Amino acid sequence: MSSPTHAEPVVHARPHKINVRILRQDGPGQPSYWERHQVDYEENMNIISVLQRIASQAMTVEGKKVTPVAWDCGCLEEVCGACTMVINGRVRQSCSALVDRLLKEHATEIELRPMSKFPVIRDLMVDRKRMFETLKRVEAWVPVDGYDDMGPGPKLSRAQQEENYPLSECMTCGCCVEACPQYTKIEVHRRPGETDDQYDQRKRETYAQGFVGAAAISQAVLFNSHPTGANIANERMAVLTGTGGVQDCGNAQNCVAVCPKKIPLTRSIARAGRAATLYALKRIFDH
Amino acid sequence: MNATNANFLTRHDFLIRRLHSLTGLVPVGCYMVVHLLVNSSLMNGPGAFQTNVNQIHSLGRALPLVEWLFIFLPLIFHAVIGVWIIRSGKTNTDQYRYLNNWRYTLQRWTGVVAIIFIFFHVFHLHGWFHGEWWLENVARPWGMANFKPYNAASTLATALQGFLWPIFYFVGIVCCVFHLANGIWTMGITWGVWTSDRAQKGASIVCCIGGIGLLIVGLSALSAAITTDVQQARNVEDAMYKLRVDTGEIVDNPEKRYHAPESLGDSTEEASPDEDVSE
Amino acid sequence: MAEQRVVVVGGGLAGLAATMKLTELGTPVDLVSLTPVKRSHSVCAQGGINSCNDQTRQLGDSEWKHFDDTVYGGDFLQNQPPVKEMAYWGPKIIDLMDRLGVTFNRTQEGFLDRRRFGGTLYKRTAFAGATTGQQLLYALDEQVRRREAEGMVRKFEFWDFLSPITDASGRCVGIVAQDMVSMQIRSFPADAVIVASGGCGLLYGRSTMSVFCNGSAASRCMQAGAKYGNPEFIQVHPTAIPGADKLRLMSESARGEGGRVWVPRKAQDSRPPKSIPESERYYFLEERYPKYGNLVPRDIATREIFNICVNEGLSVEAGRMCVYLDLTHIQRTELDRKLGGILDIYEKFQGVDPRDVPMKIFPAVHYSMGGLWVGYSKSGDGGLVAGHPQNQMTNLPGLYAIGECDYQYHGANRLGANSLLSCIFSGLFVAPCVRTWIQNQSKSAHELPASIMQNAINAQEIRHKELLGSTGGENPYLIHQELGDALTRAATVVRNNQQLESAYEKVSELQQRAKACSLSDSGSWTNQNVIFTKALQDMFPIAKSILRGAQLRDECRGAHFKPDFSMPSLSEEEPAARRAEAERWCDRFEENNRRFLKSTIATVSDEEPQISYEDVDTSLIPPRPRLYGLVGAEVIEQVWKERVTSPQTTA
Repeated sequence: MSSPTHAEPVVHARPHKINVRILRQDGPGQPSYWERHQVDYEENMNIISVLQRIASQAMTVEGKKVTPVAWDCGCLEEVCGACTMVINGRVRQSCSALVDRLLKEHATEIELRPMSKFPVIRDLMVDRKRMFETLKRVEAWVPVDGYDDMGPGPKLSRAQQEENYPLSECMTCGCCVEACPQYTKIEVHRRPGETDDQYDQRKRETYAQGFVGAAAISQAVLFNSHPTGANIANERMAVLTGTGGVQDCGNAQNCVAVCPKKIPLTRSIARAGRAATLYALKRIFDH
Repeated sequence: MNATNANFLTRHDFLIRRLHSLTGLVPVGCYMVVHLLVNSSLMNGPGAFQTNVNQIHSLGRALPLVEWLFIFLPLIFHAVIGVWIIRSGKTNTDQYRYLNNWRYTLQRWTGVVAIIFIFFHVFHLHGWFHGEWWLENVARPWGMANFKPYNAASTLATALQGFLWPIFYFVGIVCCVFHLANGIWTMGITWGVWTSDRAQKGASIVCCIGGIGLLIVGLSALSAAITTDVQQARNVEDAMYKLRVDTGEIVDNPEKRYHAPESLGDSTEEASPDEDVSE
Repeated sequence: MAEQRVVVVGGGLAGLAATMKLTELGTPVDLVSLTPVKRSHSVCAQGGINSCNDQTRQLGDSEWKHFDDTVYGGDFLQNQPPVKEMAYWGPKIIDLMDRLGVTFNRTQEGFLDRRRFGGTLYKRTAFAGATTGQQLLYALDEQVRRREAEGMVRKFEFWDFLSPITDASGRCVGIVAQDMVSMQIRSFPADAVIVASGGCGLLYGRSTMSVFCNGSAASRCMQAGAKYGNPEFIQVHPTAIPGADKLRLMSESARGEGGRVWVPRKAQDSRPPKSIPESERYYFLEERYPKYGNLVPRDIATREIFNICVNEGLSVEAGRMCVYLDLTHIQRTELDRKLGGILDIYEKFQGVDPRDVPMKIFPAVHYSMGGLWVGYSKSGDGGLVAGHPQNQMTNLPGLYAIGECDYQYHGANRLGANSLLSCIFSGLFVAPCVRTWIQNQSKSAHELPASIMQNAINAQEIRHKELLGSTGGENPYLIHQELGDALTRAATVVRNNQQLESAYEKVSELQQRAKACSLSDSGSWTNQNVIFTKALQDMFPIAKSILRGAQLRDECRGAHFKPDFSMPSLSEEEPAARRAEAERWCDRFEENNRRFLKSTIATVSDEEPQISYEDVDTSLIPPRPRLYGLVGAEVIEQVWKERVTSPQTTA
């Protein structure tokens, strides 16, 4: 219930104001610039609430009227994956980035930047379509016949469920690929006279040249280990051993270190690596 | 890199990278282990070392073929693709200071250092090409091509005099060893040998221990080379040379022997009167 | 006829289920969503999804009992045929989700594990850790992505639904929507439109809902003439944790897995909770409802927490409602396996490990039982006629509503783990109905005169431009805060008419002020400011309907609780007198049902909600007092049972 909260004033010494430095950009292809904001400190604040205050103030610390900072968010409890950004130099979800903890990292200021591996739409909002396109490419789904009532699914052991469940928690937030030194930004600018469909098509093709990234590899592994999902395992392996496949992983293992869901991504990559080895050998000898 | 090359590389991304990974271990990595082990035999004196070198050179005319097929070509492939791989990524240890990320970055830096090191190491001791004109006019005037297989320890020790070369070799060995040990660990993930977290940690420890072991081997070879008494070594080597040529174990090849420089005024040791350089 | 398409607004469980099923049936879909559909609010559902199953069946459970629990839990305010149909579909839906690869928890032998949820005595709830909604949503998202790859679905993510488009006959023939990135406004002609836009928790400022649950889509349908049912029924979840930006849910599954709710018997006992001995703890739910214990329905649990904190003064923290939710007696490994997701949330946001220390939890606005009014076609056996075009259709022909934004399934109170079921069920069930509807149309929406679409676009462009140019000086974010405060104060756990009236006045005033917003961003690229302001303006029709509906309903039913009109508890001690009192209680109960067992129907005209009532179909399960075995109310149940079995005695 929100009404009578914030009853007691906080006992220990806290800052009255929080300084926030934000890397802004007005649109794709525009130059980026830093802007300083200041908001009143409140208890239990996270970056979302800081950005909410900034949106409602719409004024820099110098008193200049500015447009509200654009950013993306959804559930605010770290299950939707929308609010990823680079906070104090490290990629994370802004909903679970608590101000008190950030101030412990860096006492005087909080720095917010958009993710660097995706095209900026505006300010802290980026376009992560490439990740969803990659999920399409690796066919991250169970290829069922249809949605009629056909009885229960295949029986799975508890151990299998416990192995798969963490992988299926992936919310396509993009932390893993943002921190990945092998995943590089692909930005496709619209050509004059290009239709929506042509532009989308060209984007898809360009994205398909890049590294698929940890999230998609892990999803492919997840569906390859599902009894029905495995029916198209070879199609997934063809993608994982194609351009930008699992071989592009450089084993920096930042993905697993920054994953907000603690998904064992390195394990997934190693499993994909093993499957790729076997798949490649099979292709050589069974061709 | 032009567009068609890039396309070729990206199209065969998987095969090329797996070959790159494989060549790192076999033969390049394996060769390196053997190489360092052979060199460390210098700790047992120039004779032991010379025996090993002789064994290698007993291949005679097949040796260049073996060297190119199993060392230089795979090494060049590994190096070229390595550079391409480095260029495909962008290190970020300034932002993400995790141990494994450091290892990623170090793997790349040590790779680059290893390329430079091996490049100069081969020049320094072998002069790259065996053509007489090249050796006379380029390599030797630059103080390169110092190694003589039938005077292995002494020429090596001579080449490593001063303090710049030992540092260069020290850095080179450390980088190569790290690159191999860490490379084996990541290779196990790449090929899916160790997949679970526990297995990866275990493999990491094993690779670390193996790496330290190899480093000890490599550095002891280096220190043995530095501390070798050139004159004594040369005596042993020459005695061995005669013996081996007499018994037909090695082919008599003056090219592979040490010859005192004709000019005077060289350092005393090099001008030392060992001149029974028999023809 | 030209190709027929359907527009689905919203990509949560319901919208995705409908999309998936429609494409399977061969109808292409344009899926319009405020957010990438994978990020829809369904991901926040934690506890599980209900169905009768093989294990419960052997203990005497059946689909009928699930149906009965749902209706009883909803205080009989639902039309029963759709609820019955849903309960009977339950097992099939879980089988389907299982086939789609949902990582449901397993028993040792490999069957789906089940847990108990509120308002039932059976372990009906299948679950995937404590992120069941996320897992179910992903399974549907994957199938829709598959259909997208096949070309059957076009996704329009980051698009804001602005209004339905109707032709001269009033039939819905498409929608107008706005790209939230480029700000382009365009029409989507469609032979039918399915709105699956979820709840309206954002009206309350902070709730357990995601930021896009602002009710704007439902409100825009309402403003286009759609009826809105039971607005005043808003579920306040008993267990959440407060934050500056939102209230985060602590799933009922925590209690389903054995979590116990208690307060120290001594008010604001300052000792650490673990050191308070058992004898000094008041497990108030277990004591008052020994049969259901901590798993009474949410409305009751919330009210009991309110009662213990406000009336009895036993809140853990002075100044706000707060009780302990205790899991510390359960093994860590068990907790991690079944509740890991929510325990991590608690730990992350509160900085305390709930495996070691009892959680401090608070009630929070969570779900809207009410929503767009939809029709149904009753079958001979009391369920629904499959494929009938009236099922799930609003009063605007061709406009359908499913999921949380319809009013159909949960009556006055929703049982835990029934929302995932109702969302998937309504999504799957509506698809063939929509197919029938579009096949019966003589003309495709794509063949209609372009002027129909253009006029609708023009109207929205005018609104957009006016808003950008507005200079009234009001700040939309601050108005939103005030709206949230007003509604939270007047229309949550406990309601009274005076407060509702003054809140209504306040909200009316805010509505006027919201028209005079000055935007700090008047640009034409990714202008979140103007999108938010539009949503804010569209919150008022529903906000006012909630308040007006609550004000006019002078009774207590489910989540709607007015102490001034509550049924008194029995006070007589002497058996005969107590029995007579129970008789009177039952008389009054029946009288109250005659007056108020009706759906509230709100429409909006000239910014004012018009409230009317509609009878509820209770033909399958007659209403009965909703007591959940409350200690001291046994005689009421006794009297009622006698009345039902021998109706003469009431005479």
